[in-house]
Amino acid sequence: MSLPENQKGNAWSRTSRRKLLACFALSPALASAKDLITVPGKRPLLLHNDRPEDLETPASYFSSWITPNDIFFVRQHLPRPRLEESTYRLAITGRVSQPRQLTLADLRKLPQHRLPATLECAGNGRAFFQPRVPGVQWMRGAIGNAEWTGPRLRDVLALAGADLNAAYVTVNGADVGLAKTPDFIRSFPMKKALHPATLLALEMNREPLPDIHGFPVRLVVPGWDGTSWVKWVTNLEVTNEPNNGFFMNPAYRIPKHPVAPGSPANPADLEVIEGMPVKSCITSPSDQDRLPLAPTQLRGIAWAGEERITRVEVSTDAGRHWQEAQLSPQDLPFAWRLWTLDWMPPEEGYYTILSRATDSAGRIQPVVATWNPSGYLYNAIDRIGITVEKRA
Amino acid sequence: MKYLPLSLGLLLSASFASAMDPQMMQRAQQEEQRACTPCHSLRLVHSQRLSPAAWQREIDKMIGWGAPVSDRKLLLDYLSQEYNVEKPLPTDELTGNGVPDRK
Repeated sequence: MSLPENQKGNAWSRTSRRKLLACFALSPALASAKDLITVPGKRPLLLHNDRPEDLETPASYFSSWITPNDIFFVRQHLPRPRLEESTYRLAITGRVSQPRQLTLADLRKLPQHRLPATLECAGNGRAFFQPRVPGVQWMRGAIGNAEWTGPRLRDVLALAGADLNAAYVTVNGADVGLAKTPDFIRSFPMKKALHPATLLALEMNREPLPDIHGFPVRLVVPGWDGTSWVKWVTNLEVTNEPNNGFFMNPAYRIPKHPVAPGSPANPADLEVIEGMPVKSCITSPSDQDRLPLAPTQLRGIAWAGEERITRVEVSTDAGRHWQEAQLSPQDLPFAWRLWTLDWMPPEEGYYTILSRATDSAGRIQPVVATWNPSGYLYNAIDRIGITVEKRA
Repeated sequence: MKYLPLSLGLLLSASFASAMDPQMMQRAQQEEQRACTPCHSLRLVHSQRLSPAAWQREIDKMIGWGAPVSDRKLLLDYLSQEYNVEKPLPTDELTGNGVPDRK
């Protein structure tokens, strides 16, 4: 994102500013939002936060079922730790018969499972909520679909003789907050921890996990919000009580009952986000594109948390008529589907295009997303506007 | 019609601008740098469009997390003036290309 209008037109060119900054050894007092960063291993992504990096995939990049690592979105709450393979240990404590300190070799010895699953930030689409809410202003691209490989969490817990009747697994990563920023710790129910698709991933798209995505170990909690997919995992604690730190409460909770937009939620009515809702997006064309009067293909993505996508409908006339889109063949829980619709615009003009997904539980993408004070789980019918024009 | 929102925006920013003189603005920006950038970039701050009440909640949350705010009111006035719901949204910015071309 850029500087607001009132700070544009700075007399310095970006290059000379960079040189000046270099002279001052990147003094934070001089660093400005205008100096764009480059993130090793990442192609140009929408920049929401330079430090720690919060990067969004432009929706137009989503052209393949698997999202390559070099365009995969990044959400970091805290500065990124750097872990070494040789010194890495995973501690398993709490309600276990034998506390363990596992090495990466221990994790590699367990049966390895590969699972395609869609990872979506709880705040994806936050920028579309009205009234606006604080937080990273994600649009369509805080999401990606990757193949995750590693041992099942339940096999890892078994190595320590975990009490499977305990209620929760509490997960901590190596990232820690600066000053008094709370540590990023998450708890989730034993039932989901024991699900055969819940993995401790060592690989992402058949490569070792990149540092920025949690090297060497990240949790994969298919169908649940990205917050559950803890990166740089170093501690698993088997507990009967959930962690009650900031990132469990009040963060990443939504009101059980909708509140009037703009009004606060009753803290007693908040519940932890678990499975993600049904949703689709239009990835091509882009909003406000100009297209020639010729056959074109509308394209997008659709996903449904722990469910499967069964249908995507598209309207090219602002919802008066709907047509069924063609779905890509992957009819799976946890992983998105691509959709396409071939379309010949009948004439020149402005078109409002909508997409609406339905899932295997019968959930249908709503006309209006449920506003909530932190802007989570935006899933309204997607909408773009395009202009079709005759060209010589 | 096209120019109406722009002129409204100019009017609004002009009326807000009178609220804070350049010297005070400079102090506020120094305060913002000092208070916010130990933990995150200012881009995250400047992408928000919030009411004064919402800015107050954010500032107080950050003070609780150890943000070294020395003049809470100055920071609140500045953020409410510069990054309120009437301000145009920032345009999208992309990071540089961090994937070297293999040739």
